[in-house]
Amino acid sequence: MKFQIPIGPQHPALKEPISLRMTVEGEVIRDADIRLGYNHRGLEKLAEQKTWIQNIYLTERICGICSHSHTTCYVQGVEKLMELEPPKRGLYIRTLVAELERIHSHLLWLGVAGHEAGFDSFFMYTWRDREIVMDILEIITGNRVHYGINTIGGVRRDLDEQQVKRILDSLDILRQRSEYYKHLGTNEPSFVARLAGVGYLSREDAIALCAVGPTLRASGVAMDVRKDDPYAVYDEVPFEVCTADTCDVLGRTVVRIKELFQCYNIIEFLLKNLPAGPVAVRAPRRAKPNEVVSRYEAPRGENIHYIKSNGTDKPERLKVRAPTLGNYAATIQMLKNGFIADVPLIFAAIDPCICCAERAVSLVDARTGQEKIISLNSLKSLSLKLSAGNKRKREAEWPL
Amino acid sequence: MKLGAFIPELLRHLFKKPATVDYPFQKLEVPKDFRGSPYLRPELCIVCRACERDCPAEAIEITAVNEAEKRFRMVIHNDRCIHCAQCVDSCPTEAMLMDTRFEISDYDRHNLKMEWEYVRAVVKPRSEAKTS
Amino acid sequence: MATVKTLIYLVIYPGLLFLFLYSTFVEWYDRKLYARLQNRMGPTHTGRFGLLQPIADFFKLMAKEDIVPERADKKMFSALPAFGLAIVFTAMLLLPLWNYSLDKPSVTSFSGDLIVVLYLLSLPTFIFFLAGWSSTNLFSTIGAARVLTMLFGYEVPLFLAVLSPAVLANSWRLAEIAAFYRQRPALALVNLLGFVIALICVQAKLERTPFDIPHAETEIVGGTFTEYSGKKLAIFRLMMDAEMVVAAGLLATVFLGGFPGGPLFGLLNFIVKTLFVIFFLSLIRATTSRIRVDQVVSFAWKYLAPLAIVQLLIVILVKGLLS
Repeated sequence: MKFQIPIGPQHPALKEPISLRMTVEGEVIRDADIRLGYNHRGLEKLAEQKTWIQNIYLTERICGICSHSHTTCYVQGVEKLMELEPPKRGLYIRTLVAELERIHSHLLWLGVAGHEAGFDSFFMYTWRDREIVMDILEIITGNRVHYGINTIGGVRRDLDEQQVKRILDSLDILRQRSEYYKHLGTNEPSFVARLAGVGYLSREDAIALCAVGPTLRASGVAMDVRKDDPYAVYDEVPFEVCTADTCDVLGRTVVRIKELFQCYNIIEFLLKNLPAGPVAVRAPRRAKPNEVVSRYEAPRGENIHYIKSNGTDKPERLKVRAPTLGNYAATIQMLKNGFIADVPLIFAAIDPCICCAERAVSLVDARTGQEKIISLNSLKSLSLKLSAGNKRKREAEWPL
Repeated sequence: MKLGAFIPELLRHLFKKPATVDYPFQKLEVPKDFRGSPYLRPELCIVCRACERDCPAEAIEITAVNEAEKRFRMVIHNDRCIHCAQCVDSCPTEAMLMDTRFEISDYDRHNLKMEWEYVRAVVKPRSEAKTS
Repeated sequence: MATVKTLIYLVIYPGLLFLFLYSTFVEWYDRKLYARLQNRMGPTHTGRFGLLQPIADFFKLMAKEDIVPERADKKMFSALPAFGLAIVFTAMLLLPLWNYSLDKPSVTSFSGDLIVVLYLLSLPTFIFFLAGWSSTNLFSTIGAARVLTMLFGYEVPLFLAVLSPAVLANSWRLAEIAAFYRQRPALALVNLLGFVIALICVQAKLERTPFDIPHAETEIVGGTFTEYSGKKLAIFRLMMDAEMVVAAGLLATVFLGGFPGGPLFGLLNFIVKTLFVIFFLSLIRATTSRIRVDQVVSFAWKYLAPLAIVQLLIVILVKGLLS
């Protein structure tokens, strides 16, 4: 007996709205379909109405967990457009925050994986230790989630000796704890039984379906933007690209834990070789007409921003390709022939950030339920027709 | 593979103090550079409107009360503020600063508004703001 | 006099009132222990140390809106919680607490009551299955199917594990089994393997991690209870807590020598021994992650059932040596 189960848009396993429609036979999934567009925020359009500076904070709010990734990606692009050369110390601090963010994101992911597998103790312990990183980030940037450390031409805050010492001290605890989670994650039988062999994605499929980040690396492909196309100061920092050959959720867990250790090494290197000097240079308000593509290795995978300027103080176009979007195609492949019980784990294993990836809306006729694709121009004229009587933004009463 | 690999760790914590804090009853410390809510020191404001221009959330509003007397009014809409502290960076005279309050929620968003009415100050701006 | 005693037995101790209060206490104990094992606080503010939290939860749920789905079998859907609660409370009456005498069988203690308690403990599983099935929700239906699949896994090892001490004690009556092991405590050690197996099976019966598969929230939302709300859910939750008390009481009777010492001292014995059993149940819950339903069945038949048979063989050997 085949039937369809809807997972989402509202479901306890999903923290954000997305719809996974699973065609199952008993407990086995035969087909899967992913539908997006429940959380579209009109972010790219909004970016066109804000200045270069304002857009830093807008891109920061694309994602809560990899907020630094999006700003860094954006700011790097804008710096290229404005032909700015940020000072070394600024770049070191930027990289430092990026690596701290990677630690916090990976520890968070470990906890989520534990929770999805019903291993709540693991979840509680990893999230307890994640607080250490969160506290460091709060001390050096002034906030726990939206760090706001990037600015065009460098970073906004400097590090002092005390903070450096504090971070180095915390690294020891984090190393010790990560070692323990590595031991636990690969030794607790009920946990390993849930992870091993689940969500198989072969090396060929991973490449063909354009998977990114730890999902790709767990299929044995050593691809990392930090190594392949170094940005910031990654060309000076020694580190390894971590891979696993098991191609399953266990492999993705192992890759993330290995990356944690690389992060600790990178941070140690950055802090010990922190150059002196200013942290930022003055940035102009306008950028010459040009276009740029900026790449960044976010904790979840490759993040791409395309920015086009037209000589004013606002971008003409900002296109964001969040890493989650790159992994959706591979997810469908991983879900097929799995068990219903594994859906949350497989889906969580790509570390989905759904609202980061919401760049699309589907047009559905409310009466017939039919979906259609229309060109950008006809969509524009349609929206102009619908909003013809509405007040302009500045005239509209706020709050609406 | 080891059966019950987690048990020693769990039992070790059974009689330890919990890691969590009994929050609303026991307050948490925030670091000194914490980005709370922005506030204005009116005696330093030269009404250059840099903060109003750079605020990503359009939370700062400066209006002229009396142009001849150079009286201005500044409203910070804390309900819109995203606490990014860009206004602090943009301000050339350090008239804008951040406090460390974080429990600012209220039942009415209008209570979150902060208002200052002041005469424009005559202060020499720093040669260069930290960022543009 | 006998009537008053029976009434007290039914309504106050160990019947309705005691079981209600004690199961809320056990839920608090389980939650607090689970939280402390995870380095958290657990319930803190309702009553002293949050002791009244489960009762507060119960009454809060009682006051909530009660929704019966349009397409559900309405009579069955509404009747099931009451049936379930009645079954578990009946099972509690059969535990040898104080209203029995060893020489004379009575309504609450007779030869073969061990089997009756085991069957009364099997029935809630069917209640869960029916609850899920009659909701006609997709998630409930999957949950219901999982309930039954799991039942095939753990039921046989549980029966084998619980019956082997009875074989050694040469009685099918709970009171006599308890008395046998009180007289010869050393023999209780023979059943250590059986105790471990029974603990794991009871964990599965109570649907707690690693066997919380029928209502795994990250997979199938509320599972069997997806459509339940308000009073009915409150009663189901109470029933699961009461089931934990009864199951722990059964293990304590069979493996730990029961609860001697009349009403007062017996009560103390009951509390200490059930909490001892529940400590292990909570520890298992904190230590493991949820496994898949196919893994439960293969685990139960590959490891639990053979081990239970080994336990039975040990018991038979020991019995041969003794006689």
